[in-house]
Amino acid sequence: MTITQDQRLALLTCMLRMRRFEETVIHLALAHDYVGRQHLHIGHETSGGAVAAILKTGDRLHSTHRNHGFLIAAGADPGKAFAEILGRADGLNGGKGGTWHLCDPRHGVSSTSAMVGGSIGLAVGSAFAAKSQKTDNIAVAHFGDGTLDEGIAYEALNMASIFELPVLFLCENNSKAGQRPSSMLAAKALRHVPEALSIPSVLVNGADAEATVQAVQDAARQIRAGKGPVFLEIAFERWPGSHQVTAAFPTGITDLETAWDESRIAGKHADWIRRFDPLRLYVKALDQSKTMSRQDILALDRRVQDDMAKARAFAEASPFPKPEVALQGAFA
Amino acid sequence: MPRMTFAEALIDGLIWSLRESPSTMILGRGLTGHGTEADAQKPLMDEFGDRITDPPTSEEAMTSLGVGAAMAGTPMLIHYGTASFAMEAWNQLINEAANAHYMSGGQLTVPVVFHVFHGVRGGGGPQHSLSPHAMLANAPGMEIVMPASPTDAKGLIRSAMKSPNPTFFFNHTQLLGLAEDVPAGDLAIPLGQAAVKRKGRDVTVVALSKMVSEALAAAETLARENIDVEVVDLRTLCPLDEATVIESVTRTGRLVVADEGSIVCGAASEVAAFVAEKAFAALKAPIARVARPMVPVPFSPPLEAAVTPSADDIVAACRRVTKGK
Repeated sequence: MTITQDQRLALLTCMLRMRRFEETVIHLALAHDYVGRQHLHIGHETSGGAVAAILKTGDRLHSTHRNHGFLIAAGADPGKAFAEILGRADGLNGGKGGTWHLCDPRHGVSSTSAMVGGSIGLAVGSAFAAKSQKTDNIAVAHFGDGTLDEGIAYEALNMASIFELPVLFLCENNSKAGQRPSSMLAAKALRHVPEALSIPSVLVNGADAEATVQAVQDAARQIRAGKGPVFLEIAFERWPGSHQVTAAFPTGITDLETAWDESRIAGKHADWIRRFDPLRLYVKALDQSKTMSRQDILALDRRVQDDMAKARAFAEASPFPKPEVALQGAFA
Repeated sequence: MPRMTFAEALIDGLIWSLRESPSTMILGRGLTGHGTEADAQKPLMDEFGDRITDPPTSEEAMTSLGVGAAMAGTPMLIHYGTASFAMEAWNQLINEAANAHYMSGGQLTVPVVFHVFHGVRGGGGPQHSLSPHAMLANAPGMEIVMPASPTDAKGLIRSAMKSPNPTFFFNHTQLLGLAEDVPAGDLAIPLGQAAVKRKGRDVTVVALSKMVSEALAAAETLARENIDVEVVDLRTLCPLDEATVIESVTRTGRLVVADEGSIVCGAASEVAAFVAEKAFAALKAPIARVARPMVPVPFSPPLEAAVTPSADDIVAACRRVTKGK
């Protein structure tokens, strides 16, 4: 399967929206008396873009504390997402979830759990529902490599395998947490774990946007055909701001001009920008293949930034929830 | 009315539930245990065997699967067997199931029933005698149902299966063979309604699960001593029917709370606390709790009996609070 021009434009748009959304989160965190602890999805845009390319109505994605990108990729309203991150009344979750728990089931992002391993079993449940309702819908479990440290991963992978459930295990492997590996496995590779449970497993380079889309499309097609789960490991070089204690721009605000003029790349993390930033690399690839003009790409980016500015203004104008709301909604 | 055991009535309620909701699925087998009532599940298996899945021994993933499927519109019943096994799934129960509706700002509902056999079974030892209802009650977002009779088992499982909320359903191991006449046909008993199982003037005994039959036995003993006991079966620990308890205590002026679980921060403590806060003026004597002392449940029969609350303990507590009435 080849990727069409429309899909390329959709992928770039999606990745730009994810990136500019997360940068706006940093701006918001710096500008407000902000109590959250954001785990940004910068540097992982290809996986969100790839999932957006395959999600159909009725498919359900379960995500983690690093969920923002998937919300935006799936089509959630960025204004309501910013409002949730700021704890405002107009937030997706009415201010009760915050950055760790954004969800938008109407756009296919069923739930987000900030417990490591939380998403993987829930997605198996969504897949069980899809199969028992005899639909061709699939579930996507988004998680990081650290999830394979948890016991639930073993149980959930095994159950998905023996029940032949339609679930894509989408593992973003950014390999490091500070100086230590974020996943401590005796297995030589992450995919050896699902492979031991008879789940076909694929490794793809997350810095290559179209290869990632291709891998996700292939996996989704196989899963929708009723062939059971697939484990897809998307390898990323970790963005230097991945584990932020305080809001900061370690690689600066993304300068798309660096796709054409690498002499503009500077700073302590220049190597990450040059070799691993999937957004910059994709813009560069689109330019080199003459798929889109520089002018069109920069115009698209400006529109995305305008959208994010409007969404930010919506969130900042949203009031905090009334205190009595805290006592409502423990039960349906 | 047909005479049914607790296990048969439970299965009858489940059959009505699965007939009504064609999308509901069950994960787990042995819904009526592996003892004398093991065959009671047969009518359910015969009619709905294709909707009952036998999972691997993976309580955490079973729970997570149930929660995820329920979020996706497939109501689920997850059967763990012994209540202690649910401890393997605590993270999924508390962090995911109980939080999901609130945390999502109401975007998600989780219609899942978690089904267990709890309590001192006789020889269960520390790891197979647990009643973790009070631990769960401490986590907002989980409904907790503890039927004490076959009729209640039928009517309450029906309501639990209709509920949009995660609901933990506790059947006492020793109640499964208890028989009574049970209304035929469909029957739903709303969650959050306590039942006065015996009217009395002198003291209110509030009880849960198997302690209801212990309380009724105690009441017979005390009647011979001219102590007239009212027995209130809470039926559900969450929602908690405070009004029925307060109304009863307001009439009797005395309260004994009987629960098989551990005494500290237990179900009995909660009932004692809300009555002390809301009906203090009605009390003619201190409140008494009958519950398990803070030790694990031991194996040896006399040791097990020594820590398990019984009708005798309720009798003693009632005598104490009615002294000089």
